[in-house]
Amino acid sequence: MLNIAVCVKQVPDTEARLSVAADKTRIEEQGISFILNPYDEHAVEEAIRLKEKQGGTVTVFCLGPARAEEAIRTALAMGADKAVHLADAAFGGGDEGTAAAALEKAIAGKSFDLVLAGRLAIDDASGQVGARLAEKLGWPHVTAVTRLAVEGREAVANREIDGGSQVVAVTLPAVITAQRGLNQPRYPKIPDIMKARRKEVAKVTPADLGLSGGEVGGAGAKGKVAGLAPAPGRSAGKVIAGEPADAARKVVGLLRDEAKVI
Amino acid sequence: MTTGPATRQIYWDIDLHWLIYIFMLLPLVLLGYGMWRRYRMWRQGGPDQRFGDWWERTKTVIWESGLQRRVLRDLFPGVTHAFIFWGMLALLGGTIVVGVQADAGLRIYHGWFYLAVSLILDVFGALSLLAVVVAAFRRYILRPARLDNRPDDAYFLAILFVTLLSGFVLEGLRIAARPDPWGAYNPVGVAFSLPFSGRPEATLELWYAVLWWAHMAMAFTFMAYLPFSKALHIFVAPVNQFFRRLGPAGALSKLNFEDETIETFGVSEVTQFSWKQLMDSDACTRCGRCQDNCPAHLSGKALSPKSLVQGVKAQMEWTFTHRGVASQDDTGPKLIGDRVPEEALWACTTCRACEESCPVFVEHVEKTVGMRRHLVMMESQFPPELQLTFKNLETNFNPWALGWAGRADWRKELAGAAEPFEVPLLSEHPNPEYLLWVGCSGSFDARNRKVTLALAKLLHRAGVDFAILGTEEKCCGDSARRLGNEYLYQTLAQENVEVLKGYGVQRIVTACPHCLNTLKNEYPQFGGEFEVVHHSQLLESLVATGRLKVAPITPKVTYHDSCFLGRYNRVYEEPRRLVLAASGARPVEMPRHGASAFCCGGGGGRVWMEESQGQRINVMRAKEAMGTGTSRVVTACPFCLTMLEDGVKLSGAATPAKVCDVAELLQEAVQ
Ligand SMILES: Cc1cc2nc3c(=O)[nH]c(=O)nc-3n(C[C@H](O)[C@H](O)[C@H](O)COP(=O)(O)OP(=O)(O)OC[C@H]3O[C@@H](n4cnc5c(N)ncnc54)[C@H](O)[C@@H]3O)c2cc1C
Ligand code: SF4
Ligand code: SF4
Repeated sequence: MLNIAVCVKQVPDTEARLSVAADKTRIEEQGISFILNPYDEHAVEEAIRLKEKQGGTVTVFCLGPARAEEAIRTALAMGADKAVHLADAAFGGGDEGTAAAALEKAIAGKSFDLVLAGRLAIDDASGQVGARLAEKLGWPHVTAVTRLAVEGREAVANREIDGGSQVVAVTLPAVITAQRGLNQPRYPKIPDIMKARRKEVAKVTPADLGLSGGEVGGAGAKGKVAGLAPAPGRSAGKVIAGEPADAARKVVGLLRDEAKVI
Repeated sequence: MTTGPATRQIYWDIDLHWLIYIFMLLPLVLLGYGMWRRYRMWRQGGPDQRFGDWWERTKTVIWESGLQRRVLRDLFPGVTHAFIFWGMLALLGGTIVVGVQADAGLRIYHGWFYLAVSLILDVFGALSLLAVVVAAFRRYILRPARLDNRPDDAYFLAILFVTLLSGFVLEGLRIAARPDPWGAYNPVGVAFSLPFSGRPEATLELWYAVLWWAHMAMAFTFMAYLPFSKALHIFVAPVNQFFRRLGPAGALSKLNFEDETIETFGVSEVTQFSWKQLMDSDACTRCGRCQDNCPAHLSGKALSPKSLVQGVKAQMEWTFTHRGVASQDDTGPKLIGDRVPEEALWACTTCRACEESCPVFVEHVEKTVGMRRHLVMMESQFPPELQLTFKNLETNFNPWALGWAGRADWRKELAGAAEPFEVPLLSEHPNPEYLLWVGCSGSFDARNRKVTLALAKLLHRAGVDFAILGTEEKCCGDSARRLGNEYLYQTLAQENVEVLKGYGVQRIVTACPHCLNTLKNEYPQFGGEFEVVHHSQLLESLVATGRLKVAPITPKVTYHDSCFLGRYNRVYEEPRRLVLAASGARPVEMPRHGASAFCCGGGGGRVWMEESQGQRINVMRAKEAMGTGTSRVVTACPFCLTMLEDGVKLSGAATPAKVCDVAELLQEAVQ
């Protein structure tokens, strides 16, 4: 029996055309699709597989605005049992610290054996929340895991490191963050999608977690996003025509003289 | 010699002939019981609305059973079958006439009517007998690959042969014993009498009596054996033709996701098919025509539409005989897996070549998609590459991982045109003459964007007032639906219908036959009734009415029929007329064209899947196209364009043909 908590975040689709909002600290949300953060999908999948093997429950935790419920439903359709949504407006505008602090309050003391999270949220990409959460819970953590085996009270996790892999063993409860390759997330079955619509999503406020307004969101954040700037647009590529041998010579010439990279 | 009206003595030499009516009872009961049993097997299936349009349905039976239309399309086996059928039909008619004459007290069998019937029976009977021999020769000596031989096939031919032969021997014996003054009207009978001539009459009479009863016994055996054998098709084929799907050929059935009490979707057990889908399998004669036209089968994939239908039949029978057995689910054979291999289901391009060639109107595609629906929606089991396709459709409303915001970006390329013009969005320009439904390929695929540009320029030049939906357009859902993801399809369909209705759209033109089929034939299931035409149809009318002036320029070309344009929507002629206008000649046809065209390999969502088994379908078709000796292959479908262009490249042809859409061809020729 394993009681597993999974932290999921809703992020803009990888293909969404992003633009910076007028205040230059946020992206424009109008006209983009949001998805369940891909790393979190791996985390959800791993949690469900563990549950299917060993029994237990999977609870999803998500801090995010109302639209994030869609990502929660995706996780529920994949097979998570219930969800806690930290949706209150007061949570908004925070940083990694306030996100982790709020998640810790929601997760601590509920007899979870394991917390799974993504290695990174593909939007803000700080890769901190999992680790910070573990620190706050006082649990061991392993990040960017590509293989996970849980036996009794021990979890053995593989991490890809440059040129090899590292195997880390921790005692439960622990926090594990998922790297791509951990598993192949499932495509939900329709009856599960329908069941997911009826599953419970508890909405919690800072007060429910025993947090004051000043400890969460923008008010509690230690840092502020001072500015966002789009990446400079890529200039059009060059097509070099001609016989392969000639073309290759030209490419080498351009790389040396124009791009000065060789 | 007699001089009375022409006739013959019926039941000559036979005493107590009325006993046949008593002996007939048992075979009749068996026949009735056998048919009732089949009926109950079909009724294991769910409901299916196949009623109404009675005259239309009757016409199908007249053409297809009576006149053997589709049977005769395949000449050699077709003619053979037609003669057996017409012969047996004539003999059955003759037998009824005789019965009426002898036992209903109606004196009709004399004079010219007698002579005419005699002659017809003689000739048709002989042709029938000959055809049975030819059929046996084909089946057992020529052994075409599409036939699999079971003992039942031999019994059937043997019974027909013996019954027909004994009939003629009987006639011969009669004529030998009592020379017939009307022998000229029984030429075959006279021929059969020759070996017996000169024998003592008593011997002939004895032989006749014995053989007559044997002949009757044979006929009764046939009757009793019919519902338990392939002869079943004699009854079921016409009924199946009668209940065929009318209306759009390839509109798939709609599933109900609103009703929360429904918890299973698709087909994993035969009881989830409709009664018609099950009846189909009893109409099937294992003739193999479908298999012979199936691109998946011909390219060496695991699929044979014939085996698929037979698999359904075997499972239908198994389920029927095991009904009420508690452990049925766990131990028995499974429809998907044991009867129909999973990989066969994924190999289908939903091209409908099988359905179009089936003489008894079996509907294969609905079955395949039904089982795919189960795999995708209930089991989440499908070729892994499809997961990405589904996800892309969900988040970006196109099958590629391309942001939906770029859907109308193709218009930027118009700015660089010689005579730049703007294609307005429907939101800026409501109520145009036509909505141009661009489709995913036309919007995102680099090659097909060129087709969209050509089409937009042609429409602009002809002064057609049109607009596009831009980012409000989503994938029509064709691939999702045919891949069995009905849930995703319905999400897309409902959203599209809502947008289209919101703008009050009435007329739509599209270059994609998959969009065409979906919008025109399947969106009415969601309350979307629009007039939808293919770009080839609209362009053809623009050329015909002189709104587009064309001077033929290109050399001879060949034209590849898209399955979804041709077999699905019966548009064969307009693209050919465009080819004529643009190239000065009708296309040089490939061996397989029109209704029997060979698929490009991209339909049914196959375009999103790997093709690892057997030959590549697109290469086979590209070679066939280049075999016409033309240097240009004209298509009218974005998938065909992509598949054939790849096919030409992969074929390794020394002088690869150029592949282009019919709109591009026309654009070259427009003045
Ligand atoms: C009303 C409201 C509005 C918000 N608006 C935004 C917004 O516009 N943009 C934005 O990026 N964030 C928003 N957030 C969420 C919050 O500010 C971020 O979660 C936080 O900045 C985390 O940083 P990161 O994305 O770099 O996480 P990382 O550290 O890169 O994430 C690593 C992993 O931590 C977990 N995780 C991260 N964030 C969350 C979360 N929110 N809930 C559950 N698990 C999480 C996931 O498993 C993730 O894979 C909003 C929250 C609320 C309540
Ligand atoms: S639809 Fe086409 S590919 Fe599918 S079984 Fe029929 S002939 Fe074969
Ligand atoms: S399904 Fe039709 S075409 Fe195919 S074998 Fe049966 S009867 Fe013949």
